[in-house]
Amino acid sequence: MTLVDPIDMSLLDAKFRDDIKSMPDGEEISACFACSTCTAACPIANQWKYKPHQLIRMILLGMREEVLSGKEIWECLTCFQCQERCPQKVRITDIFFDCKNLAAESGKVPEKVVAIAKELIDKGQLYVVTSDWEREDLGLEAAVPGLSTDGIKAILKETRTGRLVKGGE
Amino acid sequence: MVSEVPVYNLYMGCSVPANYPNYEAAMMKVAEALGMEFEYMPDVACCGSPNLRAIDYFGWLVVNGRTLAIAEKNGHDILTPCNGCFGSLKDVQHHLKHDSEDRVRVNKELRRYGLEFKGTVKVRHLVEAIYTDIGPDEIRRKITKPLDGVGIAIHYGCHLLRPADVTEFKPEMLEELVRATGAKVVEYPLWKQCCGATILPVNEPLAIRLARDKIRSMKEAGAEFATVVCPACGNQLDLQQLGLKESYGEVYDLPVLLYPQILALALGIGEDAVGLRMNRVAADSILGHLKG
Repeated sequence: MTLVDPIDMSLLDAKFRDDIKSMPDGEEISACFACSTCTAACPIANQWKYKPHQLIRMILLGMREEVLSGKEIWECLTCFQCQERCPQKVRITDIFFDCKNLAAESGKVPEKVVAIAKELIDKGQLYVVTSDWEREDLGLEAAVPGLSTDGIKAILKETRTGRLVKGGE
Repeated sequence: MVSEVPVYNLYMGCSVPANYPNYEAAMMKVAEALGMEFEYMPDVACCGSPNLRAIDYFGWLVVNGRTLAIAEKNGHDILTPCNGCFGSLKDVQHHLKHDSEDRVRVNKELRRYGLEFKGTVKVRHLVEAIYTDIGPDEIRRKITKPLDGVGIAIHYGCHLLRPADVTEFKPEMLEELVRATGAKVVEYPLWKQCCGATILPVNEPLAIRLARDKIRSMKEAGAEFATVVCPACGNQLDLQQLGLKESYGEVYDLPVLLYPQILALALGIGEDAVGLRMNRVAADSILGHLKG
């Protein structure tokens, strides 16, 4: 019995690691020496098939499909505990953000996250004031002073958010 | 000595005004009492949250770069009461200052709005600004109804603390601010742990479990109250206690206060002015801990 299935070398995509390295805060990834401190720091790694240190190793090996199609990157709490404790200064949480962006570029985004994107495009915010009487009771203006959603809507219509929302319709 | 009143560009984000007007009211009252001027920023809305960063990094840079550029027009620091907004603005500021290629790309977009990001204003979280610009000593001098040493557990929230090289926040700041009100800070094992808010859309049961871990850790350490400085964390620790009744059949009855509510009460401001009745777990028992 083997503990881990052998990796099929022919399925590895060496470009994956270069993609990540060229993305924001991705450069340090090669410094990982697989100590798994990140996994020890992660509050939810026990829920995952692939733990944070394994995901970093999988990126370095070129296991693009497994990383980008898995649920792990989307369940990352973005609490930055792994990144904060990495002795090699690998920006793990930031790298998982990069992975999500790569997944999003090929349209692989969980439905409920697409719904959030749609809110941003349609309403320009994630929460809209509904109980304005509550605000007035507290001496606040019913509508938030200065609020204007035109800017964010106009910007996101033209970036990937807009394409994701259109693709989902 | 002439002391200038510090002026800030107030960036509320979307969650506080919609879900926590009591947080907004309390911070405005505190600002008035401490001599800080909060001016609501014009033409801004949501920061997009970590969800936007996840699916559309460039869009997230432009949206928050735009907010930063608007603040640069009058030159006052940006101040926000939300950890999510703070994390977004602070991280985008950090990135655009260090990545000249992205700065050029973002500025190309901002030119259409007659704006340019230069990186000249600071991004401040409400509690950091109170700590740095007013300070615990001045607060102590102004307090008329100090707390009686009641034990309060602090939940900082991830995006206030980390990544530390970006947020530049020190936990001692909020600790000292809580102590300045007369309360005792209760240490508990899971103080650094996440409230779970971010993954509510993709794994709700796991998010609820994380909130439960947190609340239990606070209770077991003897906290009578908890305090938060973020609306998303507030949802998870306060509102989610109602969810825990449903999903786990457990009742914790741990009142959760927004920090400026505690400070305002200690400064002699009334409970109605800080919307104490809006807190989901009844929090009026804090009134019995005010002296004077």
